[in-house]
Amino acid sequence: MTIPAIRFGVPALILVALAAGFIALNGGGPEGRPLAFSLAIGAAFGVVLQRSRFCFYCNFRDLIEKREAAGVIAILVALAVGAIGYTAIFGAWLPTPAPGRLPPTAHIGPVSLTLVIASFVFGLGMAISGSCLSAHFYRLAEGSVISPFAIIGAAIGFGIGFLTWNPLFLAITSNAFILWLPNSLDYAGSLAATLVLLSALALAALWWARPSQVAAPAALTLRETLSRVFVQRWPAVTGGVLIGIISTLAYFRVAPLGVTAELGSIVRTAGTAWAVLPGTLFGLDGLRGCATIIKETLLSNNGLFVIGLIGAAFITSFLAGQFKPRALTGLDVVRGLGGGLLLGWGAMTALGCTVGVLLSGIHAGSLSGWVFLLCSCLGVIGALTFARLVGLTKAS
Amino acid sequence: MNFRTAAVFAGALAIAGWATTVQAQEGPLVTADWVQENLANPDVRIFEVSVDTGVYERGHIPGAINLAWHTDLVDPIRRDIVSRENFQAVLQQAGVGEDTTVVLYGDNNNWFAAWGAWVFDIHGLNDVKLLDGGRKLWEAEGLPLDTATPEYAASTIELPAEAADLRARLVDVLEVVENGADVSLVDIRGPKEFSGEIFAPEGVQELSIRAGHIPGAVNFPWGGAVNENGTFKSADELKAAFAAIGIDGSKPIITYCRIGERSSHTWFVLSRILGYEVRNYDGSWTEYGNAVGVPIDNPSGTVWGKI
Repeated sequence: MTIPAIRFGVPALILVALAAGFIALNGGGPEGRPLAFSLAIGAAFGVVLQRSRFCFYCNFRDLIEKREAAGVIAILVALAVGAIGYTAIFGAWLPTPAPGRLPPTAHIGPVSLTLVIASFVFGLGMAISGSCLSAHFYRLAEGSVISPFAIIGAAIGFGIGFLTWNPLFLAITSNAFILWLPNSLDYAGSLAATLVLLSALALAALWWARPSQVAAPAALTLRETLSRVFVQRWPAVTGGVLIGIISTLAYFRVAPLGVTAELGSIVRTAGTAWAVLPGTLFGLDGLRGCATIIKETLLSNNGLFVIGLIGAAFITSFLAGQFKPRALTGLDVVRGLGGGLLLGWGAMTALGCTVGVLLSGIHAGSLSGWVFLLCSCLGVIGALTFARLVGLTKAS
Repeated sequence: MNFRTAAVFAGALAIAGWATTVQAQEGPLVTADWVQENLANPDVRIFEVSVDTGVYERGHIPGAINLAWHTDLVDPIRRDIVSRENFQAVLQQAGVGEDTTVVLYGDNNNWFAAWGAWVFDIHGLNDVKLLDGGRKLWEAEGLPLDTATPEYAASTIELPAEAADLRARLVDVLEVVENGADVSLVDIRGPKEFSGEIFAPEGVQELSIRAGHIPGAVNFPWGGAVNENGTFKSADELKAAFAAIGIDGSKPIITYCRIGERSSHTWFVLSRILGYEVRNYDGSWTEYGNAVGVPIDNPSGTVWGKI
């Protein structure tokens, strides 16, 4: 990894490939421009995730176990900035949030017992596999040996999710309700409530945390500046602000952030082609969230977003010297596949994951985002508590 | 230039502009250039009717109002088009007056915009126009889009109590099929739907228990009426294409598809561009193919229950 030809050559090659893809798509006229934008915004998301180590599970675990609040503060800042951005867009698109009206394509999902179970299971999957799905995508670029298995496991989990969808929908989800806060509180009230709640959570996290010793910052030379941008971990608030901005821009131009739609779509298309999945999934395509439709075109906005995310994460990871694969163990495979399976089933059944439901949902003022936040955290706490009780080593 | 000269000059300019505007408005279509010139014209109201909900919000022709086909233009409880009262309220809120020139446009080659024009016509606003090329052409030409939602001073327009006779019902179709009424039936679905090889395109929810078409109908897939850039083909081209399958306007026509929306595009072509006498059968194949005791034609042999 220290060989300059690799450290700088690989990022250069990926950068050229991403730029060529962007230029080719952008030249494709009105149909191509959103695809090009998706690739670019995915790349920006990948850079920020990798550079600021933005990971819902790890940040939460750091708060619980190490009493470090920075990561959780980054998440709360991202939620606040995006909520402000979304509210600005909503006001232009849908001036009056009258009951029965929802802003187009926002991830305002149904709330039901299914969501509670699915997000709890997703939390278990995060704890077992070591991170959420978006973080597994950027961790591929850091040489994580678990992440490839987690993504394969997630694909299998999606398949199982499709198989269990119809019975669950008939038993529970069909009676779900959608609660969009601006319908009840207007835009100003909804945003104020969101910011107050996020502030309260930030205060609680800071109260629980123990400040760590911070070394005095080095003088800002050119070398130090490059190091801060390309090598050192970005400050939590910087990462949070950037993710809030990226989420807002993505919603404005193409669609709310989400990382599972393409994965689910591939699984559903393959499963339908092989006749192992039901031909009809009740109500799925009509529900808000990371819906997973049969693929009709090779290139999709979400697919390009994920490609951009992974590609850009490889660039920054190599530049920072953080591509560090280690030897694979049997436990890695089991943790990856098992945790991934729970992640996939949870994400499919909850109609999205920490990005699509939690982040994009809370930005949009959807109760479903808050339910996902609460229940996935309970899943993580449950898994960590169980691991401690039975004497297992902590998930890393 | 004294005041009188200036006033005369301004008046002449205004008259010239008015004359140009009126000239350009003739016919059922307006060009993108004309729309651009009339963006600030208070007597013109532009509506977007797109199939894909959400495209309007991400950018629309400046000043255009969104008409959501699944809430603003239908009565879902009755499986019907929007009621006079509800539609009147929509138009009043949009500030449409007696003399307003209404222009519709949308995605997918003006598919649902044409359906919107049919709904407007039924409710008595029978000179609404389509932006030729719709969203596709507007975007391809790189013309400006806006994301702000406009609001206009409400009007007091009142719609006629009687709806126009532009709909065909099942009984009207059966008059043709079983009693030989001298009416042409145009099925605008894809050839595989027409022949009964498939029940419906992939992914659609509204289905009929039988595949095939109404006996005596001719097939003209709706996309055949538009050019690659989304504009309608010329009236001469359209006239020749329909004449080739025996539709020449010499007798009344009924168009249909699966749920009556694609066929309103062909209704627009035949009735507004070519001037033929046309009704749209919005019950379409989902109603006809599911009706009890009515005959169908199924060249593929995929009769009831056999896929």
